[in-house]
Amino acid sequence: MNLALFIPEITLLVIAAIVILLDLFIEQKRWLAQVSISGLVIAGGVTIAMWGGSYPAIFNNMLAVDNFAIFFKMLFLGIAFLVILSSTDYVSKFSKFQGEYYALVLLATLGMMLMAATTNLIAIYIALELTSISLYALVGFLKDKKSTEASLKYLLLGAVASAVLLYGMALIFGFTGKTQLGEIAQVIQSLPPMTLLASPGLLLGIVLLVAGFGFKIAAVPFQMWVPDVYEGAPTPITAYLSVASKAAGFAVILRVFFSAFGLPVWLSLNWGLIFAALAAISMTVGNIIAIPQANIKRMLGYSSIAQAGYLMVGLAAMGMASAENILGQSGVLFFLASYAFTNMGAFIAIIAISNKLNSDLIEDYSGMGKRAPLLALALTLCLISLIGMPPAAGFMAKFYIFNAAIQNGLLWLVIIAVINSVVSAYYYLRVVKVMWLGEAASAEKVPSSGALRLALLLCCIGVLLLGVIPGYAIRLAQLAANIFAY
Amino acid sequence: MLTNYGYIGLFLIAVVLFTLFMVIIPIALRFLKIVPHNPNPIKNSTFECGMETIGRTWVQFNFHYYFYALIFLALDVLVVFLYPWAVNLRALGFASFVAVIILVAIILVGYVYAWKKKVLEWK
Repeated sequence: MNLALFIPEITLLVIAAIVILLDLFIEQKRWLAQVSISGLVIAGGVTIAMWGGSYPAIFNNMLAVDNFAIFFKMLFLGIAFLVILSSTDYVSKFSKFQGEYYALVLLATLGMMLMAATTNLIAIYIALELTSISLYALVGFLKDKKSTEASLKYLLLGAVASAVLLYGMALIFGFTGKTQLGEIAQVIQSLPPMTLLASPGLLLGIVLLVAGFGFKIAAVPFQMWVPDVYEGAPTPITAYLSVASKAAGFAVILRVFFSAFGLPVWLSLNWGLIFAALAAISMTVGNIIAIPQANIKRMLGYSSIAQAGYLMVGLAAMGMASAENILGQSGVLFFLASYAFTNMGAFIAIIAISNKLNSDLIEDYSGMGKRAPLLALALTLCLISLIGMPPAAGFMAKFYIFNAAIQNGLLWLVIIAVINSVVSAYYYLRVVKVMWLGEAASAEKVPSSGALRLALLLCCIGVLLLGVIPGYAIRLAQLAANIFAY
Repeated sequence: MLTNYGYIGLFLIAVVLFTLFMVIIPIALRFLKIVPHNPNPIKNSTFECGMETIGRTWVQFNFHYYFYALIFLALDVLVVFLYPWAVNLRALGFASFVAVIILVAIILVGYVYAWKKKVLEWK
């Protein structure tokens, strides 16, 4: 086994331990953020250096080191980098627990990196729990009534989802006798179709897996936790949840469903249809409930449910596609990257504004265009990207994913998705309207720290770059999705 | 294809019906006066392996026990891993030694954390 391939993960673990210990022995807490960021940069550098190579799987084939895993590792490290940059001000709200905060963010990132790389059901479960348990604690960091309630709700519902997932895994193990994804696929393909048809156990297992992972990606009907948790959690963690946790869920879904249940075709058509139905429901429910929301964090929570719906259009396309067509997979990857920049940008702008206002109500954003023109401009750009209008990244992402769906005969789903995009424009543009046309309550400027501005700038550059010249990013997504071609 | 999901649905319906049935039986029997209803203090008391119960169920425990339990759990897991390793030390070789040192180091971080946060001091 080659431990050198495991260096990014080891780095994160060591840095998390160092942050915990440093927090105990030093007074200057701002070093913690710098140490965490340096750890992320080292891990990111090593990960980027691995890109493109073909390496053997490590830990008895439990962790794959392929382009797909490396793509997601870079994504998670980048998101964690932005989260830590944007929390440098926010941590003053819980100054006693800064070390734990940064360490838990790093550990959650570690769990997500493992989630993207695992090719074994047991390892997937452990990576998922490492992520979830870190996030349960992070959600409750504010220690006020809402935050505690959010954390408890997330913990209880998450535990139920884990149990459902585990039950699904147990059924699949009972049916195939394997936990390794590749071996599960071999067993399924070697069985005569009639045996499969006569036994609903495998199908029940797949349905339960969809439910368990659906909780992670916040798809309807597993979305109950989203609004309360998003509202109660510290805003950087809300951003982290909405972007990284969702991306990790999609990474696992892509790998499990493609490598284990990709063939025979009738099976993939089956789960393709499940995802198509979930996509249609998620988009519609998320967008319609987002319309009356008065709290911007809640609104973005429902919007993230809708975005999960658009992403699942890509999964449905993957299920319907023939083997050599990887448009669906690479579409999901590109969408996740552009969604990461977009949603992080929106939340960072919200952090800056609500730090000053101490309120997350949309009506309080009135006149932000005059009080903080740059922040308002960045938020506008991100909201436009969430609608899916050019020149922002959201347009290219939706274009790409809908294209994949149409090519695989899902025209009806794309029609629903486009109608939903139009509906969603209403509530996104309402925020824009309030910010630029509303009267300012006071003429006071909104201050923001350098780190926050840097993070916001990086997000805006990302949104524009992926929207205007998407070629390079699409190429990366295709290379990463290439592991799915037979 | 749909018939397979039909089987699953059938199971679900059976589960729900069975559960409802089990809940309803005692109520129905009570209602039909088949089950006698003569309560007395001994019958109503908690069954505790023949011991007589003392006080109420809602006893307060000192919150400090919780921290001790957490630290105990971590160290307990460490011992579970250490013991089989120590028995087979020679056979497992140097690589396992390094692995165990890493495990001990990780748990040590947690222990130092607890120590420094004054969890071990009884107030």
